[in-house]
Amino acid sequence: MTELRLEGVSKRYGSAEGGTSALTGIDLTVRDGEFFTLVGPSGCGKTTTLRTIAGFEVPTEGTVSFDGEPITDIPPEGRDVGVVFQSYALFPHMSVAENVGYGLQFRDPPTGTTVDERVSELLDLVDLSGMGERSPDQLSGGQRQRVALARALAPEPDLLLLDEPMSALDARLRESLRLQLKRIQSELAITTVYVTHDQEEALAISDRLAVMRDGELEQVGRPQEIYREPATRFVAEFVGDNNVLDGVVRDSEVLPSGRKRGRTRVDVGDTAFELEGVSEDARRVSFCVRPDSLSREADRNRFTVDVETTEFLGESVRAHGNWNDIPVVLRLEEVPDDTVTVGFAPDDVHVVERW
Amino acid sequence: MRRRTVLGSVGGGITLGLAGCLTQDGENGETGSGSDVDDSDESPTDDSTDTDDGTETDGEDDELSGTLQVVTYESMIDGENPAGPWLKEAFEDAYPEVELEWVQLPDQGINHYVNRADEGVEIEPDVYFGLNIDDLVTVDDNLEDGGLFRDLDTDEIDRADRIRDGLDMGDPHGRVLAYDTGYISLVYDESEIDEPQTFEDLTEPAYEDALLAQNAQTSDPGQAFLLWTIDAFGEDGYLDYWADLRENGVRVLDDWTESYYGAYMEEDRPMVVSYSTDQVFAVAEGNDLTRHQVGFLNDQGYANPEGMAVFEGGDTDLAYAFFEFVLSSDAQAEIAERNVQFPAVEEEYVDLDEEFDEYAYVPPEAVTVGYEDLRGNVDEWVDDWAREFATH
Amino acid sequence: MLFRRLEPVRGWLERRALWLTALVTTGVLAVMLYLPVGVVFVEAVLVDGTPTLDHFADVLTDPFYFGFLADVIADPLTVGTHLGALAGWLAGVSISVSLEYPVPGVGVPIPWLGLETPGVRMGLFGFTAYQAALSTVASVALGLPAAYVLANYEFRGRRTLRSLTILPFVLPGIMVAVGFYAMFGRAGTLNTIFGLAGIGPFAFVEANPLAIVILAHAFYNAPLVARITVAAWESVDRRAVETARSLGASERRAFRDVVVPQLAPAVLTGALLTFIFTFMTFPIVLALGGLQLATVEVWIYDRVQRLDYAEAATLAILETILSLGLTYAYLRYESARSGFARTSASRSVEPLFPDLRTAFTPKRLGVLAYGLVALVVFVGPVASLVVGSVTDGGGFTLRNYAFLLERQLEGATFQTRPLPAIRNSLLFGVATLLIAVPMGVTVSVLTARAGRAGTVVDALAMLPLAVSGIVFGIGLLQGLVFGIPLPGGWRFQVTGAVAIVVAHAVAAYPFVTRNVSPLLSSLDRAMVESARALGASRYRALVDVELPLIASGVVAGAAFAFAISIGEFSSTVILAGGSESYTMPVAVERYLGRRSGPALAMGTLLLVVTAASFVVVDRVGGRYEP
Repeated sequence: MTELRLEGVSKRYGSAEGGTSALTGIDLTVRDGEFFTLVGPSGCGKTTTLRTIAGFEVPTEGTVSFDGEPITDIPPEGRDVGVVFQSYALFPHMSVAENVGYGLQFRDPPTGTTVDERVSELLDLVDLSGMGERSPDQLSGGQRQRVALARALAPEPDLLLLDEPMSALDARLRESLRLQLKRIQSELAITTVYVTHDQEEALAISDRLAVMRDGELEQVGRPQEIYREPATRFVAEFVGDNNVLDGVVRDSEVLPSGRKRGRTRVDVGDTAFELEGVSEDARRVSFCVRPDSLSREADRNRFTVDVETTEFLGESVRAHGNWNDIPVVLRLEEVPDDTVTVGFAPDDVHVVERW
Repeated sequence: MRRRTVLGSVGGGITLGLAGCLTQDGENGETGSGSDVDDSDESPTDDSTDTDDGTETDGEDDELSGTLQVVTYESMIDGENPAGPWLKEAFEDAYPEVELEWVQLPDQGINHYVNRADEGVEIEPDVYFGLNIDDLVTVDDNLEDGGLFRDLDTDEIDRADRIRDGLDMGDPHGRVLAYDTGYISLVYDESEIDEPQTFEDLTEPAYEDALLAQNAQTSDPGQAFLLWTIDAFGEDGYLDYWADLRENGVRVLDDWTESYYGAYMEEDRPMVVSYSTDQVFAVAEGNDLTRHQVGFLNDQGYANPEGMAVFEGGDTDLAYAFFEFVLSSDAQAEIAERNVQFPAVEEEYVDLDEEFDEYAYVPPEAVTVGYEDLRGNVDEWVDDWAREFATH
Repeated sequence: MLFRRLEPVRGWLERRALWLTALVTTGVLAVMLYLPVGVVFVEAVLVDGTPTLDHFADVLTDPFYFGFLADVIADPLTVGTHLGALAGWLAGVSISVSLEYPVPGVGVPIPWLGLETPGVRMGLFGFTAYQAALSTVASVALGLPAAYVLANYEFRGRRTLRSLTILPFVLPGIMVAVGFYAMFGRAGTLNTIFGLAGIGPFAFVEANPLAIVILAHAFYNAPLVARITVAAWESVDRRAVETARSLGASERRAFRDVVVPQLAPAVLTGALLTFIFTFMTFPIVLALGGLQLATVEVWIYDRVQRLDYAEAATLAILETILSLGLTYAYLRYESARSGFARTSASRSVEPLFPDLRTAFTPKRLGVLAYGLVALVVFVGPVASLVVGSVTDGGGFTLRNYAFLLERQLEGATFQTRPLPAIRNSLLFGVATLLIAVPMGVTVSVLTARAGRAGTVVDALAMLPLAVSGIVFGIGLLQGLVFGIPLPGGWRFQVTGAVAIVVAHAVAAYPFVTRNVSPLLSSLDRAMVESARALGASRYRALVDVELPLIASGVVAGAAFAFAISIGEFSSTVILAGGSESYTMPVAVERYLGRRSGPALAMGTLLLVVTAASFVVVDRVGGRYEP
């Protein structure tokens, strides 16, 4: 199977000076058999990165290599990648079986199988046995998506690329397809790059993920790392619900709980907070506190939030409000009153920026 | 004749559907430029070596041999009952060793050959059959004076003397002989209007919205009619006359076909600028002659003689034999009747069908604007006139 | 294995097929278009080898050509004077609405927007644009109902009728003119019919020559508009309309919000082509309208006749700039709209006359009324031509056909015979189609998604439509028939049957491109990319995926290519020279003498042969449509 590597990949449109930059210096390695996700808001370059890997875009600079062999100049049809698009792009004038079998005229089916056998094998894999003669028109959205997946996998590609394949589906279907996709991917152990703007999906499905912004990589890591230790304020705000606060370091001053090793006083407005993990040379910091780290019971770092809206999520309640004009999101066990006072433990924060 | 072999190979390529080719000018030492006088002077010598017995013949020598290429307009060879095929057959009967090859005149007419000469491209045919006075003017305005065609040696063509006075076409270089002529006249419907007698009549209320004419820019009869008015009113007066005509609702259409077969024959208007041989066709067509009355303004018709000339590179011996033949009595009659034009020779040298005599009208007086007047003027006259009409 | 090598030779060819076609296309265009046009255009800017803009200055500042604009161009800096003149002019404008009776003697009132302007000088260009604009409006007005009926109703002969809509395209101008007189003249068919009812005769042509000219332009171009629009209409998804209606939109509203936006590009394409064609109209204006309605092309013809190539070229370049400018503006609009993906449409057609009751609904009556108009405008002139070919002063006759037969059997080699003309026309037509379709599709593929640069190339690719036919003809003559002198006394010459076919293909491929491009750019880009990721070369993706999905556009383009070839006259005449490569329209022209009968008979033959071919082209092509 395949390890994918991008080195210094940049993509500019238009002239060298006047054009716009879509990608800047992307360095990335996707390991063999890994489920890797590119996530970010629209326009961040994730789709361009995927299209560069597939060969639909030629990078202005940098190289793309599969298993150490550079393929930057190889056209898409020479790359052995399977692609599933957001629109699925099923060929409407071909039956489901013809769609799935299309790639097999260019790339032989695995030894020992005929094209027909391979097609029905793939239809079985995506739970569409017996649907081969149907026209794509006659399928539901979820079925189409699975046909597109089967079509991409039929020629046994080295690499599976998925461009927002779930975005046209409703939430429940999305969840079940996500599980199915993950199952198939690990069964086949195929190196997979998945593009989505949905960070929740990205966290749920990936072995590792990259958060992108403005054509650059913000952070690459396992879902837990990204969630717990966002490298930048952008990642902190983009991945999961989060509260980001900016404060001034008052190192010399006495902490509210008295002096403790490794703890620093940070003032946000007039309110003093006690944090761990602030490096000594920092004068100002941004730090984030996950909603589930804010509790009514905590005895440190308490502040009072004016609640504006609440969402009932079943097991918990999500509340949006503000504290001193700073938006705050909380996760509580029950619906709060107009105001609620919460606090957090000094070690339950993550400092994302300092200067 | 060597020149012909070069072009012959090109021609062969054409029939095979060859799309592009390279040919080399001046093979066998010829430059191929029709405008090169020295070269063309040598041509007869070249030709005579090819046609062994072609030396110093007079027109009656039936031992002439070779191929004579004659370029002519479509209706001479391709219309209904054309004169061309008869001419070819009869001429070849008279000269069994000679082949007459008709060449269709390209769409641009004389301009095609003016351009060719100008670009230094070879001109294949020997004879141009159907030359007008203004064609000669075009030649001389754009090439050197007296270019494109040879000066004719009329002593070599005995029957040249038979040509009527007034049909000498006025070429100072003597390059052309008339073989027939037509007369531009009015054709009108006597059930709708009376015959107009003068040009001025046409501006009277009785002829309001009555006349159909043709664009002098695009149509031969159109230009002839315009020149006729210039003859009548002079260079300084014709535009005023046309302003009056316009005031009275004259309609100037593109060409003869649509003005005649369109507007006139569909009875949109009762009068059209056409030819004085109109009734010959009307009778053949089985039409009622009420709508085919011929009218001569000021008792005149505008003469449009058609002539023949030899290209500078053309074979004079064969050409002169052909000219002699064309001016023979039989040929003159056949050309006149088939081409529906009038013979170029004096009456005593031609015997026409009675029916032709009955329906083809000759104006009491023929007018024509001669070479000298046209030279350097005709373009401007036409342009000034057209701009008056098309000003928006 | 990282990427498997494709089969060496076929793979090599397939991967490069598109670029090879592009290369060949460029070569063909260079030789058959840019070279001949360049040869003439250069006359406008070179005097004795020295570059100059004098000719442009002369033309642009001549009020005869540019009317009031000439003064502005001559003296652009005296803004105050120009503004003053404009203000004075605006003060004199009055607009009135009145009921007019445009058909003399017939009491059909039509609301008329009267625009009284204090005689502004339009100049030749202004008038040409004015009549082209009116012709465009008329063509769209007459073409859209046809598209509506053909796309939305099912009736016997619908397919055949759709095939025949292209027929006017192949008729030589002179035939159309004679046909119009035969239909609308005072002794014409229409008046004969009115005469049976005891009314008339009416002088339709005399009453308003401009109106007749515009009608004749509509005769040519309304079918074009209809043809292009039908293709778009047939691909409008019924489900989208149903969705809109389920959301509460009235039928009319759903039409406006859902159908109209999808039709707009097609209608505008038709309108653009109509405007360009009628801007360069020749010789219909003069044949029907008269010299007062002369257009720029008439003057170009005149200048060429008088061998004043410099002015002819200058006028032609200005025409071309205008046409290409409009094309570019349109293409910007088209590309701005692309990406609204067209799925395979589920069409809804209803029977035109299901039963007697529905036959009298307002909609069906409207269709009937339009049918009557179409009968008069489109069928009338053609039918009158056919009648003209079998009548003479004595009534019914077959002598014109006897002439054709005799000529076929006994004609000499230097004479034009009907069967070779038919054979050549069909051969050239098919060959043109085979060349023009790949050329047109290639241009579409290469420009469809290439952004602004693609739009520029696409606009330039429309050059064959934007160049004066007369200038193109002269260019072919001077550049290709006479040949270009090369060093060493060699000449580069291009003539003969293949040259004719290629010239036809050059004239025809823009129609393929214009029919294909909008469909291609509205296809989901991911279709091609999916195919390519699955191992298909760009060429295979085109053949396997795109072409089947845009088949209707390809077939429409192919039909146009065929029609252009059949109807083409001037370059055929020039490149054929005196050879045997004459076609049907050339034969019509050559039979046109003092008697019109033989030409009318040949014209009828042209109509019959072409009609039969179009039915075949559409039937064959129809098999590839979804």
